[in-house]
Amino acid sequence: MTKIIQPKKQRNIFSRPSAEEGVWSWITTVDHKRIGIMYGYAAFFFLLVGGLEALLLRIQLSQPDNNFLSAAEYNAMFTMHGTTMIFLAIMPISAAFFNYLLPLQIGARDVAFPRLNALSFWIFIAGGLFLYSTFLFGTAGAPEGGYLAEEVSRLASAPNGGWFGYQPNAGLKYSPGTAMDYWAIGLQILGIASLVSAFNFITTILNMRTKGMRLMRMPVFTWMTFAVSFLLAFSLPIIAIALFFVTFDRQFGTTFFLTEGGGDPVLWQHLFWLFGHPEVYILILPAFGIVSEVLPTFSRKPLFGYPAIVFAGFGIAFIGFGVWAHHMFASAISPVAQAGFGLSTMIIAVPTGVKIFNWLGTIWGGKLTLNTPMLFALGFIGMFVIGGLSGVTHSVVPADTQQTDTYYIVAHFHYVLFGGALFGIFSGLYFWFPKVWGKMYNETMGKIHFWLMIIGFNLTFGPMHWLGLQGQVRRTWVYAEETNLGFWNLIVTIGAFILAVATLVFMANWMYSRRKGEVAPFDPWDARTIEWSIPSPTPVWNFSKAPEVKSLDDFWHQKYGEDEDGRALKREGTDELLAQLEDEGLNPKEEIHLPSPSYFPIIMAFGLPFIGYAVIYKSIPLALIGVILLLIGGFGWGTEPLEEEFESSEEEKPYMEKPQNYE
Amino acid sequence: MSETHKEHPSPTKYVQIAIVLAILTAIEVALYYTEDIVGALAPPLLIILAIGKFVIVVGWFMHLRYENSLVNKFFAGGMILALILFAIVMIERAVGNFF
Amino acid sequence: MSDAHAYPHEPTGVETRKLGFWVFLSTEILFFGTLITTFLIFKGRDFPGIKLTDVYDIPFTSVSSFVLLMSSLTMVLAHNALETDDQEKTRVWLLATAMLGAVFLAGQIYEFTEFYHKGFELSTNIFSSTFYVLTGFHGLHVFIGVVLLLALWGIGQRQKGLSLNDGMNLEFIALYWHFVDIVWIVLFTVVYLI
Repeated sequence: MTKIIQPKKQRNIFSRPSAEEGVWSWITTVDHKRIGIMYGYAAFFFLLVGGLEALLLRIQLSQPDNNFLSAAEYNAMFTMHGTTMIFLAIMPISAAFFNYLLPLQIGARDVAFPRLNALSFWIFIAGGLFLYSTFLFGTAGAPEGGYLAEEVSRLASAPNGGWFGYQPNAGLKYSPGTAMDYWAIGLQILGIASLVSAFNFITTILNMRTKGMRLMRMPVFTWMTFAVSFLLAFSLPIIAIALFFVTFDRQFGTTFFLTEGGGDPVLWQHLFWLFGHPEVYILILPAFGIVSEVLPTFSRKPLFGYPAIVFAGFGIAFIGFGVWAHHMFASAISPVAQAGFGLSTMIIAVPTGVKIFNWLGTIWGGKLTLNTPMLFALGFIGMFVIGGLSGVTHSVVPADTQQTDTYYIVAHFHYVLFGGALFGIFSGLYFWFPKVWGKMYNETMGKIHFWLMIIGFNLTFGPMHWLGLQGQVRRTWVYAEETNLGFWNLIVTIGAFILAVATLVFMANWMYSRRKGEVAPFDPWDARTIEWSIPSPTPVWNFSKAPEVKSLDDFWHQKYGEDEDGRALKREGTDELLAQLEDEGLNPKEEIHLPSPSYFPIIMAFGLPFIGYAVIYKSIPLALIGVILLLIGGFGWGTEPLEEEFESSEEEKPYMEKPQNYE
Repeated sequence: MSETHKEHPSPTKYVQIAIVLAILTAIEVALYYTEDIVGALAPPLLIILAIGKFVIVVGWFMHLRYENSLVNKFFAGGMILALILFAIVMIERAVGNFF
Repeated sequence: MSDAHAYPHEPTGVETRKLGFWVFLSTEILFFGTLITTFLIFKGRDFPGIKLTDVYDIPFTSVSSFVLLMSSLTMVLAHNALETDDQEKTRVWLLATAMLGAVFLAGQIYEFTEFYHKGFELSTNIFSSTFYVLTGFHGLHVFIGVVLLLALWGIGQRQKGLSLNDGMNLEFIALYWHFVDIVWIVLFTVVYLI
């Protein structure tokens, strides 16, 4: 029996929410695990939407001189595909992992600022909905003298200036209507969500570690969360300003990026890529972290060169701030600038290479289990290396001048973002599935997913390397018959549909396993880090009592010692230890205090889209509603304590035999 | 307040610091008016004065002098990163076409 | 934080919310840094039209700057007063800081109105755009600060005054206020004087 203290006092008119079940409990939750799960589902939904956008693009490009999509629709689809995948799919899925795992990996009960955490999530939802409302309300006019059709369909009434919104193309003159405003303001809102998360995670990692969890004993995934948080914290403010400049140019008549008023379009590129390059490391580092957990577990060997991997991660993050203008080699920057950035781009390959070699060193000589998470992790290494190699070719400035704006670049970044980040993410989804849901996924379906995906992936993006070098240009809705690009484009489209099938297999596996999967033991993989030492699914309180950590891979060392050859030898008493951990994990002996749920994060979050609409439609009433929501949310939050004061309840509330299931 | 009591300057000390800040501001304004005499020295001097005021407010009013070095490192880190990145952008935009 | 008694925390020795707040302030450096950089990039450019130097009034702005600087003093005195548990003084200095901040804002509004009348508007040219957006964001930060100060002063008006927890909030508002002041220190020099 556990005494879970419930808030009893009613402080003001609106009593603190206290639901534990049902929709309302999810809306007001501040529990990092639930927030992580919500991030995961929302992000996956957007991944599917982004994927659909990609399939539409590929249908259009499957044949030369096609007109499945109009030019206007094509522009909107590639813009939304990129924007969705980056900001609404990969970043939030990474956030899902950070949210769920970070406190568990450092032995904490929750993050440093639980309500701020909820705020991040709801701002993400508000921003995503705002951005997508462009399809309902947005307008994408035809610039005067342009060749686009006057009638613009709903599908084309979306941002169409690319995910990078180059000025002045994405400015008012060449992108009239409101669609690009939805883009600029939507991204602004989404940026706030990530920025706020960054503060939370940095503070959490520094201040919420359990006893003995020194920085150099933290799992690599935690270190990568740390690095990503720094990247977010220092790059997001820059794009926030840049987006303000765009919005002001479009809405308030300023001329930051318009030469007619003395402005400078190249400034946009600098500001955008000052954010944009760190952004790509934000996208990949979480996958680096995941893979650094998966590989040692299924090689039954410690990670090779832990300090090197940690420092390399930070090295990449730091140097990542110094390479941005390699996106501008063709934008008339001086040869000195080109040389400098070409050099820094080559240098960043070094810490990246260190990580690759360390991963290989981890697998080498290990006893490999080739299950689904491991296959995806191995696939990650292969695909990421290919993407990295093409990336290094871009750092050679003259070569890049040939490659830029062709499908060669598209191949590069899909190899690193899909073959890299997404494969890493799938690896993590399978790896931690038992921990989150208490069930095992279906291994056969997992393998089918993997093989379909890796084949489909290479069919889709492999040919783009030579299509690009043969001259197929990016962001162009149609190519002529005479270019002879049709055959490989068709193969690419077929590959894309294979990817769609693979994704369906994954979804089927997920849904089936959640319902009918085998019940999982709490340590199904005989894993290394402390999140595996607590019951599955994770109890709402995480750890019954604060764990005390004595080394890196502490859980492993609790289970295993070493024989004279340095090989792992199971300790006597390990089985009893595991049973004891499970029992203790389910039945905490101390009073557990958890942060109380709150309405205010979601109230504040939904104030932001109102302000967004107010700016676009010049509506003072809408602005006022937005500001009022922010004020109510802010003041309510500021005056409510993190944990409600409570009187002990008369009856001890019996806790369930098994921990809560997240149904 | 803070669990561990950190050294705090007294109110008198704070007033003295404020007087120093006021004097520095007065010098800055004087430099602006005497620009013909001071000439090219004015911008660097103004920058030095501004940095001086900045350090005083951050160090004493914001307490950074007395805080844990971790907090110092964050602030310094952010500043150094900003200075380097923005210097590169400004230089590139200013002289880019010449090289 | 969550488990006051059982759960270990703060291995860094810095109070958690304070740490979080300094991380936030470090990011504000990048925010204002970008604005200032943009201003500086365009400052010397050869482009026709009205410039800030055609319309500004250094004596007026100097007085405004002095006012804001002194508000940092009153802010630190408010913090000091709460540390010595003098609720009365705390309220007085909080109100003083808010008032000085409001005077600064009034000065900015007056200044901008004058500039507008002389034809220096937001969308006039790049010099005016960069000026207004930079000083405007700073002004917005001051405004938010004044609101927070008044809110804290209001909470302090209750019978029991400001609690220890409110004291932590005062410390954060103070840090925010000083930050807004140092941004102005840089702005005044870089925008007006140099």
